[in-house]
Amino acid sequence: MAANGIADDSAKLQILKDALYDEIRQHGSETRLFGQQDLLDLNIIPRNDVTLLVRVIQALTDDKLLVGTTNHHAGLAWRWRSREEAKKYTSLPNDETVMVYSIIDEAGADGIWNRTIKNRLNMHEAVVKNCIKYLEQKGYIASMKNVEHPNKKMYIKATLRPSERATGGPWFTEGELDTAFISELESIVFEYIKTKSAYRGSQAQPGGAASSSGGAIKVPKKGAISSGEATPRGTKRAATDISTDDASPAPTLNTSRGGNAKSRAVFLPMPAGYNQYPTVAEIAKFIHDTGITNNTTLGEADIQQLVDVLTYDGLIEPVRVGRRRGYRVTRAMKQDTVPFHKRQKEREAGIGLDQPLVVGAEPLSNGLTEAPCGRCPVFELCEEGGPVSPSNCVYFLQWLDLEDVPAAVAPNVALPP
Amino acid sequence: MLVTKPVTELCALLIDELYGELPSRIFATLLSKGKSTLPQLALHTSMTPRQLRHGLAVLQQHNLLFYHLDAGAEFASYEANAEHAYNLVRIGKILEMIDSSFGAPAKDVMQNLLLSGQTRISDLVAAYQEKIEQANMAAALMGENGEVGSEANGVNGDSRPAKKAGPFVKSTAHLNSIICRLVEAELIDVVHPKTFESPADILKVVEKEVMDKYFPAGVKGNKAKVELQQRIAEGLRKVRGESKSLKRKLEQNGSAAKRRKLLAGLSGMTNGVHDDDMDPSLDPKQVIRINYEKCLVELRNRRLVQFATDMFSETTAYVYGVLLKLLTKDLPRCRPDPVMDIAEDEEENEKKGPGFVTTEQILDNLKTSVDLSLGIGKAEKRHISSSAAENIRQYPPEKKPKIEEAEVDGEASEDEDEDDEPSGEESDHDTDYKAPMMNGINGVNGTSGAKVKFDESAGPKEQRMDRPTQLRQHLLLLAESTQRFVRHCGPNEWTVDFPPLMNALREVELDSVIERTSGRQGLRLVRILRAKGKLDEKALPNVALMRKSELQQKMLEMQTAGFVDVQEVPRDVKADVKKSFFLWFCDVDRTLDRLLDTSYKTMVHCIQVLEALRQKEKDVLETTKRTDVRGREKDTMRKEYYERYSRFLECERRLFAQVARVDDLVSVLRDF
Ligand code: SF4
Repeated sequence: MAANGIADDSAKLQILKDALYDEIRQHGSETRLFGQQDLLDLNIIPRNDVTLLVRVIQALTDDKLLVGTTNHHAGLAWRWRSREEAKKYTSLPNDETVMVYSIIDEAGADGIWNRTIKNRLNMHEAVVKNCIKYLEQKGYIASMKNVEHPNKKMYIKATLRPSERATGGPWFTEGELDTAFISELESIVFEYIKTKSAYRGSQAQPGGAASSSGGAIKVPKKGAISSGEATPRGTKRAATDISTDDASPAPTLNTSRGGNAKSRAVFLPMPAGYNQYPTVAEIAKFIHDTGITNNTTLGEADIQQLVDVLTYDGLIEPVRVGRRRGYRVTRAMKQDTVPFHKRQKEREAGIGLDQPLVVGAEPLSNGLTEAPCGRCPVFELCEEGGPVSPSNCVYFLQWLDLEDVPAAVAPNVALPP
Repeated sequence: MLVTKPVTELCALLIDELYGELPSRIFATLLSKGKSTLPQLALHTSMTPRQLRHGLAVLQQHNLLFYHLDAGAEFASYEANAEHAYNLVRIGKILEMIDSSFGAPAKDVMQNLLLSGQTRISDLVAAYQEKIEQANMAAALMGENGEVGSEANGVNGDSRPAKKAGPFVKSTAHLNSIICRLVEAELIDVVHPKTFESPADILKVVEKEVMDKYFPAGVKGNKAKVELQQRIAEGLRKVRGESKSLKRKLEQNGSAAKRRKLLAGLSGMTNGVHDDDMDPSLDPKQVIRINYEKCLVELRNRRLVQFATDMFSETTAYVYGVLLKLLTKDLPRCRPDPVMDIAEDEEENEKKGPGFVTTEQILDNLKTSVDLSLGIGKAEKRHISSSAAENIRQYPPEKKPKIEEAEVDGEASEDEDEDDEPSGEESDHDTDYKAPMMNGINGVNGTSGAKVKFDESAGPKEQRMDRPTQLRQHLLLLAESTQRFVRHCGPNEWTVDFPPLMNALREVELDSVIERTSGRQGLRLVRILRAKGKLDEKALPNVALMRKSELQQKMLEMQTAGFVDVQEVPRDVKADVKKSFFLWFCDVDRTLDRLLDTSYKTMVHCIQVLEALRQKEKDVLETTKRTDVRGREKDTMRKEYYERYSRFLECERRLFAQVARVDDLVSVLRDF
């Protein structure tokens, strides 16, 4: 009877196990935690028999089908594990391997550092190593890189993909920020915004007016000022000679009406109130349609990140017209009308190698950026009477093209006899 | 203007450059020792009183000194006028500005005034009389043939023979009229006894007067304090007004309005147009000088036009220039005086600010040769939201509108901002870009003219827009810009909010320095910090999409350059550096201050380099001073020497040009 009873009991237990396990799986994902009351409420255990429940749970846990955890609010709780996974557990040769595998399992998509495993389990390094080796061979776990800790050896369950946090999102390849990919995409996005937010027109080239050539650095030129006879001192300059190239507000005359004026393509700003400046959604769609990013999926948020960077670079600016928030290129007139990818091709063919290839217009300049002192590495030290001083400044000599000035030429008199 | 060491150095160098070493040394002493009397100066400079008097006279003549004589005191005390000394660097720019706005003859007059310092009108007339007679005689003698030997004098190989179109100033009547025009434009004003008192002294005197007259029993209570402030401001304004006495006199004259109108035209006036005899003759005893404050207003206009050219087309910038010219015609200075002009607010609120200009006024002043269809792209009408474009902002930014309904409108658009804002982060890019609620404003203020007008002129039928519409397009574009070049403050009314605009320009200047020194990525990082405030070093790479190592290096580089700062926040009491947070931030004002300082130093260096070059080429320069060489350098000098000489001239030219370029930056940072 007794033996029969036990056999009967274990058969009954098996049925209850299966019933409870199936019912639990109906009630939520692998991450859901079930407290004791939750399990009783599933109405599988007859008469709400807690002892029976505990026995069933114990049996399931032994089969690795349930995982027990201590939860802050509910106390002890359980979540279920798939039968396949459970099989992996039960197939493992020893307890150590099980413990290592379970700790990697718990770490989930973020992965875990091998040192952390060792410390948490308080095991000998060699043991951990062996376990890991075994698991890797079995194909249960895989090593991974985490961008936040690029030097740490991390492990993850082989069936999982590393989380965004670990991979760093679409901008990372193998744990490294993929700057080539980013700048490529930036140039495409910029090109798109440029052509969509500015009007491609042509402009007559005013004859010889230097200021019209887009983005060129102005070379200071002398103002046409004659010095009167009243120069105060012989070797000194007249007051008036301190001049500037302060561009006079010379307007563009309507040379376009004149027939022989040469015209060139330029981008022109759109009229005020233009409401078709591309939005992030449109840019994202464009990028998607081009298929450039075939193996990475870029969401709108990712594109927004890219657009923000372009904004911070000062290449584009947000414009809100009505409820539409679009982006437009800054300094439209100064932009290159040749598409960026063409420029890249040209470069491959060896054209324009003397200039760096960057998207957008050349930065503005001012008196400080043009003068040697503005970029001088020893500016802080430079002082008349000090070790570096304007009077022995080599940068200025270069700037003035005086580098090779011969010290006093042969004959020592200035005038011929 | 804060007089720092580089400023002192710069002023001394400038004065040395123009007026020689003696005045320069006195000036430098005055700057470093502060207010001094003659005996004190003698002590500090170890010069003889004779030398000192001579030097002081030169400085005085050029308005580089303040002096004050307390009643009963034996010696007057002198003080350096650093502001004016610095202005010497702008002389070239001012002359060029006069040239393009008032024509060559006016420039010539201005130049004389600059060379001789403050001048009695009669002296100026006499000098010109002589010149004119000489020129007439020479013209009569030479007729058409021959060229006057170019009178290159001293080092200046560039002096342009001034004979092409005869003398610039044709007659004393012409001279008179030029002065009248410059006085009316406030570019020249009158010297009066108080001109030579330093602002601090004037304040003291006015304060005393006010106290004696209105508050003999002392000031009690807040109300009296306010009144005191007002009275002082009034007194100061009266003093300031004295230098405009000549202008007022001219305005009382009947023909002033007509002359003004001619003056307003931007078209460089040709000599023939203006009837010189119409102008009243000026009191020959008046002493006149250049009014730098007003000159700066003009220079600021030009800088803004340049700014607009950088951002838009030249056509738009030209329109902007006309607008600015009209708007600032009666604006006496770039920045209001903190004491005088703020008190002014209270009483005459209406007169405050530059006022506005109407579309018609601008149209009337545009050159007919300018094609307004240039410089703006075309778009289909349905792609233009005219309500957004025509959005009227009655009040300057930040200032709360006074009409309640308008305020509601403002809030409404703010709500909208939040609506489709993915996150609050970027909001600072377009906080100033409020969604337009055109109709609301129309309703509230009853200014429904704008929209109707636009629809009329841009009717669907026509392909080519008429000129007023074209003009409006440029103006609206300026108004829509992120820099806020223009504010559309009423239907067909336009104004400029200078303070925020100048802030934008300052930021642009700073950005170009950053981009040129630290690259685009450097600029990116700074602008991120500017937008987000303090940011943890760990958060930066993700926002900037930069590699951590590169970013750290860039940040350190920029910290050294003074563009960014870092703050270490320990995580716990142990303050373990490894665990600390590093918060980066940028203090724009501090960076700008540093930029200003760098600019001064750069200018000083330029001049010092020139001085070193002079030393190096001393033998050549000595030679060119000889009377038998002067003016005939090319023929008389050995080839190598002449080449060295001309190379030196080229360097000198470039260095001065560079100083002027740096001054452009200083003006933006400090004065505009
Ligand atoms: S060393 Fe030359 S470039 Fe550098 S700060 Fe001195 S003068 Fe300027």
